[in-house]
Amino acid sequence: MKSRKLGNQSGSPINKLFVVFGIILLLFVFKPLVFPVPGPDLNSTTTILTSETGNSSVTGIQNGLEKFWSFTGFANFYWGNLVMIVVGLLFIFLALKYEYNPLLLIPIGTGIIVGNIPFLHDANLQIGIYEPGSVLNYLYLGVAKGIYPPLIFLAIGAMTDFSSLISNPKLMFLGIASQLGIFIAFLGALVLGFHLPEAAAIGMIGCADGPTAIFLSSRLANGIHLLPNGDVVKNLIGPIAIAAYTFMALVPVIQPPIMRLLTTKKEKLIRMKPPRQVSKREKILFPVIGLLFTTFIAPAALPLLGMLFFGNILKESGVTKRLATTVSNPLIDIVTILIGLTVGASTQADIFLTPQSVLIFVLGAISFMIATAGGIISAKIMNLFLKPENKINPLIGAAGVSAIPDSAKVSQLEGLRADSSNHLLLHAMAPNVAGIICSAVAAGILLGFLM
Amino acid sequence: MVLCEQISINFSNIDNPALIITVVGLVAVIIALAVLAFVIGRITNIQNFFVKIKLRKRETKSDPTEEKPLISISADENAAICTALYLYFTEMHDEEKYVMTVKKVSRNYSPWSSKIYGVMSLSKRR
Repeated sequence: MKSRKLGNQSGSPINKLFVVFGIILLLFVFKPLVFPVPGPDLNSTTTILTSETGNSSVTGIQNGLEKFWSFTGFANFYWGNLVMIVVGLLFIFLALKYEYNPLLLIPIGTGIIVGNIPFLHDANLQIGIYEPGSVLNYLYLGVAKGIYPPLIFLAIGAMTDFSSLISNPKLMFLGIASQLGIFIAFLGALVLGFHLPEAAAIGMIGCADGPTAIFLSSRLANGIHLLPNGDVVKNLIGPIAIAAYTFMALVPVIQPPIMRLLTTKKEKLIRMKPPRQVSKREKILFPVIGLLFTTFIAPAALPLLGMLFFGNILKESGVTKRLATTVSNPLIDIVTILIGLTVGASTQADIFLTPQSVLIFVLGAISFMIATAGGIISAKIMNLFLKPENKINPLIGAAGVSAIPDSAKVSQLEGLRADSSNHLLLHAMAPNVAGIICSAVAAGILLGFLM
Repeated sequence: MVLCEQISINFSNIDNPALIITVVGLVAVIIALAVLAFVIGRITNIQNFFVKIKLRKRETKSDPTEEKPLISISADENAAICTALYLYFTEMHDEEKYVMTVKKVSRNYSPWSSKIYGVMSLSKRR
């Protein structure tokens, strides 16, 4: 019985693993003895010195091990990497435990870990996201050159139903909330010493519009353009992108306390009139009119608004179902994976962990909170002028920020908390879509001024 | 006020160009929204206007005692109609025979699925 037990132990996978690794280690240790080491490298002083003592095999092992060690993550460890890896793990934890926007937090969290694995930077290994020629660098080009944002806007257009906005156009004014966030963050960044183009790019975090923030920062804060005083603008794409996407993902954490604080029980119970039926003709006319009108005002936002309305035309035309399905399913999935991973990986600690990045985060958080509050207060002000049957539930004002569709979902959940039969999702989509349009127009205007 | 070497707070940084950008940006976006909301709001009226003209033309041709058709249907009614149609179409099945048949599946010989190897191989030690 005992012998059988022992036999089992020796055959267990762990034991086999030990045997295999043991053999590999022995081979590694005795390799210089079995296979003679070639002559000493004349350029290496250590090798020359030790070869004089006649201990070349041991030196070979030592050099090999030293070289191996110098390439490991342990040798290149920097405390910032650990901080960022913990942040990445926290993102993944939040996505798994509380399901806060897992489609964004999982790729970003994993990206943060991938981007912060320490490695030897001077060895031209071409693995870091900021090293030209690396795979991650190629993928990051979509962020740095502003390629992904228009693709995301295309998918948003193909997935969004503008019916609620068309049936109740006055809800469009709740999109002004996002403007408050943008311009408060813009002025705040100027106060903190950022230059005009950098401040404009930072401003976009205020409305939690990730794609627009990336697009604007790739144009204005890309570390290439020259300022009027001859200085080069800072490259803030990484911090801005990660801040904007973090706030997008953390909408369910940031917004509810502000919503509860600024609304009374009575206001939360307001039942909005069901939206009227919107005809197909109206649904097709809206993106066409919207495209013409908004791009004539801000042509610089054409890549974003053009794609947004193009996506919506694909959806609403009814004759391009295949294209609309491709855009709203596989394409958005691919772009989300790429943008999430690369934005996360762009937080390489030695480049990302600067006081400025922290400031951008703080500024973004404050302005996003103000934008949320602004939306709720705008709805309250509008209620003063509306008939009792047309009153707006102020909770949908918080959806005026551009985090689509998360802020609309938050409005719905907060509405259901107050009254389990009061569904606000459809109504909240109107300010949410308006917020996207507003922030893209604002981005176009800022680009027009500053490019 | 200096927070650290790289960061300082200075309100004088909000100079004229910054204020101009802020004010013009805000006003332009608000005007754009207002006009867009106005135009979108009018689409329905324009559409209804044309529908009414069409209906009037039809009325003159057809019997005046005929019931007037509705221009718009509320969202609730529409949802109810759509649900009914959906349920009707998804409930539709082909006629089934109610006769169960067991079809024998014949497999080609392959050494990978041969029974003999399974019999010959030694039982796994546990």
